Amino acid sequence: MQMRNKMSVRQFLLKDLLRNKLLYIMMLPALAYYILFQYGPMYGAIIAFKEYSPAVGIWKSEWVGLANFQDFFSGFYFWRIFKNTLLISLYTILFEFPAPIILALLINELRSKKFKSFVQSVTYMPYFISLIVICGIVKDFTNSGGVINQLFTYIGGDGNAMLQNPAYFRPIYISSEIWQRFGWESIIYLAALSGIGQEQYEAAKIDGAGRWRQMLAVTIPGLMPTIMVLFILRMGNLFNIGFEKIILLYNSAIYDTADVISSYVYRKGLLEFDWSFSTAVGLFNSVINLVLLLLANQISRKISENSLW
Amino acid sequence: MKRKTNRSMKMMLTALLASSAMLAACSNSGGNNHSPNASPETAAPSTEATAEATPGTSTGTYPIKTDVTLTRWLDSSYVAAQLASVPEMENFPFEQELAKRTGVKVKYVLPAVNQAKEQLNVMFASGEFTDIMEWNFLTQYPGGPEKAIKDGNILKLNDLIDQYAPNLKKYLAEHPDVDKQIKTDSGTYYGFPFIRGDDFLKTYGGLIVRKDWLDELGLPIPETIDDWYVMLKAFKDKKGAAAPLTFISTPRLFDDLQTGAFYGAFGVKRDFYQEDGKVMFGPMQPGFKEFLTTMRKWYAEGLLDKDIATVDGKIRDANMTSGKSGASYGLAGGGIGKWLQAMKDKEPAYDLIGVPYPVLNKGDKPKFGQKDFSAPSGGNFAISSKSKSPELAVQLLDYGYSEEGAKFFNFGAEGTGHTMVNDYPTYTDTIKSNYSLNLGLYTRATGGPTIQDRRYYEQFAALPQQQAAVQTWGNTDVDKYQLPPISTTPEESTEFAKIMNEVNTLVDETTIKIILGTEPIESYDKFVEKLKQLKIDRAVEIEQAALDRYNSR
Repeated sequence: MQMRNKMSVRQFLLKDLLRNKLLYIMMLPALAYYILFQYGPMYGAIIAFKEYSPAVGIWKSEWVGLANFQDFFSGFYFWRIFKNTLLISLYTILFEFPAPIILALLINELRSKKFKSFVQSVTYMPYFISLIVICGIVKDFTNSGGVINQLFTYIGGDGNAMLQNPAYFRPIYISSEIWQRFGWESIIYLAALSGIGQEQYEAAKIDGAGRWRQMLAVTIPGLMPTIMVLFILRMGNLFNIGFEKIILLYNSAIYDTADVISSYVYRKGLLEFDWSFSTAVGLFNSVINLVLLLLANQISRKISENSLW
Repeated sequence: MKRKTNRSMKMMLTALLASSAMLAACSNSGGNNHSPNASPETAAPSTEATAEATPGTSTGTYPIKTDVTLTRWLDSSYVAAQLASVPEMENFPFEQELAKRTGVKVKYVLPAVNQAKEQLNVMFASGEFTDIMEWNFLTQYPGGPEKAIKDGNILKLNDLIDQYAPNLKKYLAEHPDVDKQIKTDSGTYYGFPFIRGDDFLKTYGGLIVRKDWLDELGLPIPETIDDWYVMLKAFKDKKGAAAPLTFISTPRLFDDLQTGAFYGAFGVKRDFYQEDGKVMFGPMQPGFKEFLTTMRKWYAEGLLDKDIATVDGKIRDANMTSGKSGASYGLAGGGIGKWLQAMKDKEPAYDLIGVPYPVLNKGDKPKFGQKDFSAPSGGNFAISSKSKSPELAVQLLDYGYSEEGAKFFNFGAEGTGHTMVNDYPTYTDTIKSNYSLNLGLYTRATGGPTIQDRRYYEQFAALPQQQAAVQTWGNTDVDKYQLPPISTTPEESTEFAKIMNEVNTLVDETTIKIILGTEPIESYDKFVEKLKQLKIDRAVEIEQAALDRYNSR
């Protein structure tokens, strides 16, 4: 039974290959791309288990086993950077992820087409500003005497540089993140919104649903697949907080909340030419991300019947 | 059924759209800084080499007859301002004239501004080297120059210098102290140095105070920590300065004070120094606690900039030119010169003075201060081990140490760079009209493979305030206490870097927390305990061994 089944699979494949020759040929370049540029470089990941020196090459570098991982896990600050990375990611998902959805829903409700595109342009403009400039603005505004700082003193701020207070770092980081990205990210949702059939709205109207009811019963369910896909993808990036924005904003007074894995690796790995160590941390991040991605996908399939595969 | 396929189709499209948006984001953030020059093709060494330089020894005659084009790499942030007006470094008047004089054509490969270290890293990893690389291998290459040679990245130059660099050889024979600074412990030469040819050139930074405010308030030039307290208080109360004392804290906390300002009054620095041949780590000494106590008090009373942990160069400049601050650390050129220039028309009374490094008791001589070594970056012009014509590269680099070459590096060509007035090479009006731009276009007086001339600084820092400041700042005991440019062994360097990375994080964090008042002063004792846990004693031991080796070079 087992045997026969296997044979038939092979036969089926062969038949399919012959029948769809052209399609398979068309697939080749994409396959080559993945092998060359996505799977090939994975070979380089073995330097995480070696003491890599470019002069002797990847293969001839000395094996050191798990020493690089040990270094990382036993680091004096490991738990702090681990916790900070996780918290910033979670808060980002909690606050930043829904923002573009809400914006898209709001824009969708606008009647005037002109006003709609105006709002869209204005909200996605910040996305095109260089990160260095953004961080410069944030620093200026939150320093003593800065606009945001001044406003903050009205509701109980002490007027000192806000980026010197560990408690303010995450809110500042995440709200600037929202400000910069939500317009841009809402584009995907707007595209998905335009795909919802008008007949569904009409049916809802006939059933006596108001605008609010329509949104709950038609718009949001229609948007759900998109939301879930983006959510799962986001979970797969949970541990990838770029070091650029962090190192542009942080200072030693707020390492408590601001120092994350990537900024630590930047200080330690990149500036010290420690390729193997950086790779080990990168590998660790990827493994966690993969686990989270699988987990999110599984849960989503169970709960909402939406999943990547 | 149909609905389902429709749905999964939608799903895939969304995923595709999302990932392409992410890709766009990636290329947007990563790609916009790349200099078009830095493509790997141009980074190959001597690709255009068609003939070898003549073998044998060099007599030091220029121009050399060759049709080899050498490739060079340097941190482009030093020439960023110049590149903005002349986009190709090969077209700088200085470079064109240099090529004519030496007979050697050079192609520059420049990394994106502020990404030099990362891109050097990439260059080493990819194996696509340029012939000549300018880099501080002493402090900015983990493991130091010996390791760089062992890694196969740069060449040991002893034989090459012996045979092809008569000018440098002569200078080193006459100046054994410089010779000691550019060799490794085992006597290896790894690069050509930039040499400060006079003590006068080695001090260029220190504390700067608003002279007009001092005069107006009838205050003396501050010498002791108590004087400083009185002065800052007066700046705050009587002149309304919101941040009386300000200084830069990037990339590391209190970066401006790294040469020992304020710390020095309490006999310490934020890192290593020596006392009678013994290596000390500042934060472990009792004086460090006193420093913290003083700064904490100053911060609490609003004398120290409220934003002190986030101040960068731009903010500091703004503070000093807006009346928000009255005292800071700065350079003779980039501080005094820049701020006076900025305020010349706006506020004619605005005046600055360089003040001595503060001490505890009147009449004491400051223990530390900013002072460069004769070879501040060691031998920072190194030659790639993959270079096809290292002899030629050595001959090219040696030009700057000849009498004619040094004059050219310092003052440019006669006519375009300088004119001789009473036997004194005087910069042309072109250069004088805009030192910060044109010095870099017509000369390489700072940072080149040459011997810097004091007559450069006499003209560059010509303001009486600048001349006086340099004299004031230079009056310290730093020679006695500063560590010479020592190097750890390649084996120890990894261990040392590992320890110091965490130690520095802890030092910065504790320093600022105590000063801001988020932690009590008593936590200093716990901090010392933690430093010991991080094996600071081992780090001191490594430094001590390095110092001993240096002293017996």
